[in-house]
Amino acid sequence: MGSNSRIECIFFSEFHPTLGPKITYQVPEEYISRELFDTVQVYIITKPELQNKLITVTAMEKKLIGCPVCIEHKKYSRNALLFNLGFVCDARAKTCALEPIVKKLSGYLTTLELESGFISNEESKQKLVPIMSTLLEELNAKGECTLPIDESNTIHVKLIDQRKDPLIVQEYDVPVFTECKDEFFRSQWDLTTQQILAYIDGFRHIQKISAEADVELNLVRIAVQNLLYYGVVTLVSIFQVQNLIDNKSVQEECLLYVTKPGQKRASLRDVFQLYCGLSPGTTVRDLCSRYAQQLHRVDERKLIQFGLMKGFIRRLQKYPVKATRGDRSRPPQLYTGCHSYDEICCKTGMSYRELDERLENDPNIIVCWK
Amino acid sequence: MKKKVLLMGKSGSGKTSMRSIIFANYIARDTRRLGATIDVEHSHVRFLGNLVLNLWDCGGQDTFMENYFTSQRDNIFRNVEVLIYVFDVESRELEKDMHYYQSCLEAILQNSPDAKVFCLVHKMDLVQEDQRDLAWSSIVYQLIPNVQQLESNLRNFAQIIEADEVLLFERATFLVISHYQCKEQRDAHRFEKISNIIKQFKLSCSKLAASFQSMEVRNSNFAAFIDVFTSNTYVMVIMSDPSIPSAATLINIRNARKHFEKLERVDGPKHSLHMRMR
Repeated sequence: MGSNSRIECIFFSEFHPTLGPKITYQVPEEYISRELFDTVQVYIITKPELQNKLITVTAMEKKLIGCPVCIEHKKYSRNALLFNLGFVCDARAKTCALEPIVKKLSGYLTTLELESGFISNEESKQKLVPIMSTLLEELNAKGECTLPIDESNTIHVKLIDQRKDPLIVQEYDVPVFTECKDEFFRSQWDLTTQQILAYIDGFRHIQKISAEADVELNLVRIAVQNLLYYGVVTLVSIFQVQNLIDNKSVQEECLLYVTKPGQKRASLRDVFQLYCGLSPGTTVRDLCSRYAQQLHRVDERKLIQFGLMKGFIRRLQKYPVKATRGDRSRPPQLYTGCHSYDEICCKTGMSYRELDERLENDPNIIVCWK
Repeated sequence: MKKKVLLMGKSGSGKTSMRSIIFANYIARDTRRLGATIDVEHSHVRFLGNLVLNLWDCGGQDTFMENYFTSQRDNIFRNVEVLIYVFDVESRELEKDMHYYQSCLEAILQNSPDAKVFCLVHKMDLVQEDQRDLAWSSIVYQLIPNVQQLESNLRNFAQIIEADEVLLFERATFLVISHYQCKEQRDAHRFEKISNIIKQFKLSCSKLAASFQSMEVRNSNFAAFIDVFTSNTYVMVIMSDPSIPSAATLINIRNARKHFEKLERVDGPKHSLHMRMR
C-alpha cells in the first residue's frame, strides 16, 4: 500500500434540518477544523447539481474526497436526506485509487438506507463510528477491508493499483512470455487464455495463434492484451540494432537464452558481433550467411527475440506507397504508406515473398522503411 | 434595471414556498414537496419590462446564517434594494430569531443603508393566500419605478369612464400593482381574493389547453370587466352605473389600452412591460 494515498481521516457529514451542514462523525476525532469545514462545506453537502458525483476539494493543505448523496422522500424532514462519507488526505497525496472506494461506499450507504433506514435511524447510525475506524485502519495497513454491517450485509473494499492502458494488439504482433512459462498458473486465467497459452512462443503472431488454437481472432487479441496489461507477456515485432546494454547480468541472461540446445555456451564476443552485424536493412537471411561461424552455437531466432525483448533491436517494417494516381495495383487501399508488409500479408493471406515479388514488379509502388 | 431582493429568515419558515407560489406559479400543495434551500438560491424574475428582480433566497439553517454574517457578509448584504425577513409565527426560539434578525439589520445598515425592509410573519398550516399576496403586492409596489405616473393615469382613465374602481394586475403573478377607487369599499381584502380567484381560473383554463383572455361578471348592482390590458398587465374595471352598456366600457378599455402601451414606451425601458419567468 503506497504511502502516497494514506488516509488521514474519514468523516461522515449530514444536513441537519435546523443546524444545516455538519460533521456528525469523524475518525480520528477533531481532525477537521471548524475553519476547514466552513471553507469546503458547500462541496460536501451540495446543491442538487453536484449531488451523487465524486467531488474532490483541496483547501488548507488537505484534500477531501467525498460523494454527496441525496435521497428524496417525504418521510424525511425537508423531504430529503443529505449525507456524505468522505476521506481526508494530505493535499499532495495521489488519491486516484481512493476515488472508486469513496464512490462504492456512498453506494453501499445509499442501499443500506433505502433497505433498512440505516442512516436515518439514530441507533443504527452510531454503528458508523466503528465502521469508519476499521476502514481507516485496514485501508491504510492492508489496502483492503471487509466489514460486516449486520446479519445480512458485508462491505468489501480494496485499493486497486492503477496501471497504464495496454497497447492495442494487432494481428501481426508476436507475444512472448516475459517470465518463465512454467511459473504460470493456468487455472487463474480465463478459458480463452488457457487455450492459447501453448501457442505463445515468441514466434507465432496473433493471427497464427488464432488459426492454430482454433480461437476467434478478436478473442485472441483481447486475451493477449489482458496478459500485456498484467505484464505477463510483451509484444515483439523484430529487428534493428539500436543499442547494446553493457550489463553483466543481461549478458549472462543473453548467453543462456541464445545458446543452441546441446551446444557449449556461446561466447559473448560472437553474440556481440552478431548484434553489431544487424544494421538497418539487414535481413535474418543476410545475417545467417555472413556470420555462419558465429551462429554455430547460437540460435538466431532466439538471438533476435532476446534483442527485441530487451529493446536493443527494433524491427523495420516495409510500407508500400502508391506513387501515381489511378493505377490498377491491387489491393489499392492498402498501399497508402500506413500499412506494413506484416499487416498486408495478414490481411490478404499472401506470404512475405509473394507480396515482395508482386510489389517489386509494380512500377507504381515505392516501398518505405520505417 | 436590476433590483436585488434578499429573502431571509429562519429555516423552514416558508421563504422558498412563497417565492415559488408568487413567481413560479406553484400552488400551495406543490410547495410541500420542496427540499431545503442549500446556501443561496438565485433566481431572476423579469417584472414589468426591464425591471429584473434578482431574488436571493437564503437558506436559514444555522451554519448558513453564520456564514452570511461573516465570510459572505459583503457579498450578501451589498447593493440590496429590498430585504424581506420572514418570521415563523409558531417558532419556539424567539430569542434566536430576534438575534438573527438583528444581525441582518446591522449588516444591511452597514452595506445597503437605503434598502427597504419588510417583515413577513408566516403561518405554515393555514393557507393564508390573501395575506401573502397582499404582502408581496406591497413589496413589489415599492420596486416599480414609475408607480406614481401609473396611478395618476389610471385615475384619469377611471374618472373618464366613470368607473367605481380600476385595478391593474401584473400579468403572470396577478399581483395588484396599481389601483384607483372613487369611494370606500367594504372588503379590504378584495384585491387578494380577486387575484386568487383569477389565478385559479387561469390554472383551470390551462389544464384544458386554453388560455384565459377576459371575463365579464354582472348583477343588478354592478358590472365587472377583466381583460388583457398592455403586454404585461391585466385590467379590472368595476362599473356600478347600470345604464352604461358593456359595449361602451369595452370600447373605452380598448382605447385606453393604446394609451397605456404608448405610455410605457415613451418613457423608455423603464416602462416597457414584459414578464418572463425563469
